[in-house]
Amino acid sequence: METIGHDAVPATELRAADERGPIRSKRQRRPSGRPPPLPRELGAGGMFWIGALVFLVAFTIFLLVTQVGNSFERQESVLSRWIAGWRTGWLNRLALIANGLGATVFTRTLRLGTIVALLVFRRWRHLIVFVVSLLFVAWLTNNLGTYSIRPRPFGARIIGGWEGSSFPSRPIAELSVALVGVLYTLVPRGRLRDVGKFVAAALLTALAGAEVYLALNHPADILFALVLGVGIPLVALRTFAPTSVFPVQYRKGRAAHLDVGGPRGAAIRQAVQDQLGMTVLELKPFGLAGSGGSTPLRLTVAGDPDRHLFAKLYAQTHLRADRSYKLGRTILYGTLEDEKSYNSVRRLVQYEDYLLLVMHDFGIPCAKTYGFVEITPEREYLLVTEFLEGGTEITEADVDDAVIDDALATIRRMWEVGVAHRDVKPANIMVRDGKIMLIDLAFAEIRPSPWRQAVDLANMMLVLALRTDPDRVYQRALRVFSPDEIAEAFAATRSVTMPSQSRNMLREHRKAGRDILARFRELAPQRPPIAIQRWSVRRIGITLAVAVGFLLALALIVDNLQTGAL
Amino acid sequence: MRSPRVTLTLVAAGVLLSGCGEVPNGSVPLCLGPGRNAGSLILMAQSIPSAAYVPCISDFPAGWTFGGGRIRNGHTEFWMDSDRAGVAAVRVLLTRDCDHSNAVEVPPEAGEPLMKIYEEPIALPPTFSSNRYYVFAGGCVTYRFSFLRGATFAQAVEATKALTFVARARGVSLLAQEGVILCGRGVRCPG
Repeated sequence: METIGHDAVPATELRAADERGPIRSKRQRRPSGRPPPLPRELGAGGMFWIGALVFLVAFTIFLLVTQVGNSFERQESVLSRWIAGWRTGWLNRLALIANGLGATVFTRTLRLGTIVALLVFRRWRHLIVFVVSLLFVAWLTNNLGTYSIRPRPFGARIIGGWEGSSFPSRPIAELSVALVGVLYTLVPRGRLRDVGKFVAAALLTALAGAEVYLALNHPADILFALVLGVGIPLVALRTFAPTSVFPVQYRKGRAAHLDVGGPRGAAIRQAVQDQLGMTVLELKPFGLAGSGGSTPLRLTVAGDPDRHLFAKLYAQTHLRADRSYKLGRTILYGTLEDEKSYNSVRRLVQYEDYLLLVMHDFGIPCAKTYGFVEITPEREYLLVTEFLEGGTEITEADVDDAVIDDALATIRRMWEVGVAHRDVKPANIMVRDGKIMLIDLAFAEIRPSPWRQAVDLANMMLVLALRTDPDRVYQRALRVFSPDEIAEAFAATRSVTMPSQSRNMLREHRKAGRDILARFRELAPQRPPIAIQRWSVRRIGITLAVAVGFLLALALIVDNLQTGAL
Repeated sequence: MRSPRVTLTLVAAGVLLSGCGEVPNGSVPLCLGPGRNAGSLILMAQSIPSAAYVPCISDFPAGWTFGGGRIRNGHTEFWMDSDRAGVAAVRVLLTRDCDHSNAVEVPPEAGEPLMKIYEEPIALPPTFSSNRYYVFAGGCVTYRFSFLRGATFAQAVEATKALTFVARARGVSLLAQEGVILCGRGVRCPG
């Protein structure tokens, strides 16, 4: 009987080498249960605080529903009385000073200071997560204190100011949430944050000690508040704004670009090795300036000889950017074309990989794809393609008639096979050996609207004219497009239909007295502009929902500022 | 199945959008009785440790509800809303002292605790407004009536009947049975 085991022929040898990888070594399937290359970042700390929260909730319910609660109250009362027996004048003064750490003026300054700093540094994600955590902790503290009013400690004279229920300790909750906010939204990860954690722990310990010493709160109130105040913002920030994806940094650079050093760099190497069978010798960021969304990389993989590959790292940030962009377009223009956003990073990267294959099959000049690898399931994926050795961006290349003809023929070919690039701009057009190559097909579409195809043509002609002149490009275009088609392209063109890079470059030329767009419109037959506003019930509904959401958020912020929760 | 992120988001949104809710019973300063939470009363007693009495609500007359409250050291207040006299139609304050120099003393009704009562009418119906002070050893309770136009004295009588007092000594005694000591008037504590 034939057995399949170690002696079986590897599957890769049963098939002829495909084109999905230049170098083939042993690929490794990740066994079920083994963590992915870059596991999610909740970490041991996050799990600890979640566990602590669950335990304390269960413990509190246990105390409330059993007679053990009364005994616990008595024990805490005995402790308060015992501590009060040790009070002396200087210790009282010291404790009152430490108690000032929980004063509203101090914690509110920390909270509002953090919010202002996040606004200044435009760290929106951190801001939203922090503000929601703040409000959630304030709401929870307030409601817990209202639902289960607990008196202040018995058996000892209470020194200092207090308000409301003893459970949970409001000053501790307010200080801890503010400190976690400062640490995880303003202090970069590393030594500084580590030191900050010690400082925060020292401040919280001082306040907790003072609260117990002055008989303002029971130890259990403090413990519970600590778990709420630290656990909730910590888990929220690690879940919704993980440092690996939203690093706190003060150097210049686009927030969308991820740090590919450290654990992520190692994860990329492992993932490419395991999933594509390539050994990455070096990986470094490449062409960040031209990339607004993904993080572009150049990989050096082992081979004979070693060779370069291009890779694009996609994360959830890019997915959200895509959603926001499409939502904005829907509000501003309606459903001009497919405005449905991707519902997962996997699908986004899968789509681009598929588009590269389709374009390649259709003979559209673009980089060959070698597939993509999973870094963190549903969160981070890396698309690996051919590296265009010797290729230069069209803004730096010689553009002669051959290049112009090739670029226009590419658009014609795309029209014929029914695809659109949708992001034709200088940064996405490379020139190699007198031929153009299109890159960044993330926005490309199969069976696009005629309007979108016309816009692709106009954008390509504008890019070519930026490097040459409109008259020459127009004359060359007449060899592959009719005057009416060119007229349609410029009738469809608006400021919003042009990628921002092209728009900015055209503006510079216009300032220099050379209005390229106007010249094309003079050259092409006159045609009324094509309307880009599309009205629908959906657009009105979405616009109203966003407006109501904005007003609601504003009202909540104002209300919480008035009540002191912020 | 929803992801934890979505669940967390929904919980947070629910929390943030739930600003207007019913005031829970735990915070209502109901007078002592079986099944009633005395947390608010004890906290009030702790807010003014010298006070011999703390105010409480015996029962809500028809049309009256608990509006809210604020208890902090040195000052306690809560208020009741009425469907006829308006929101915060009666505000009850417990303080160490109170200024009743513009008020006139009135005799206590039969069965009321031993304390001096002062009335300070401010405005007569149709927009009734008045202060009443209960002055006792170590404290003062003020009822501030501020009615909507059209409300009558009848609502003031209703509210007054709903409000009464608990003697600190009784609270101290009950808590001692539970094994804890309520510091303040008559009970010295360390520190």
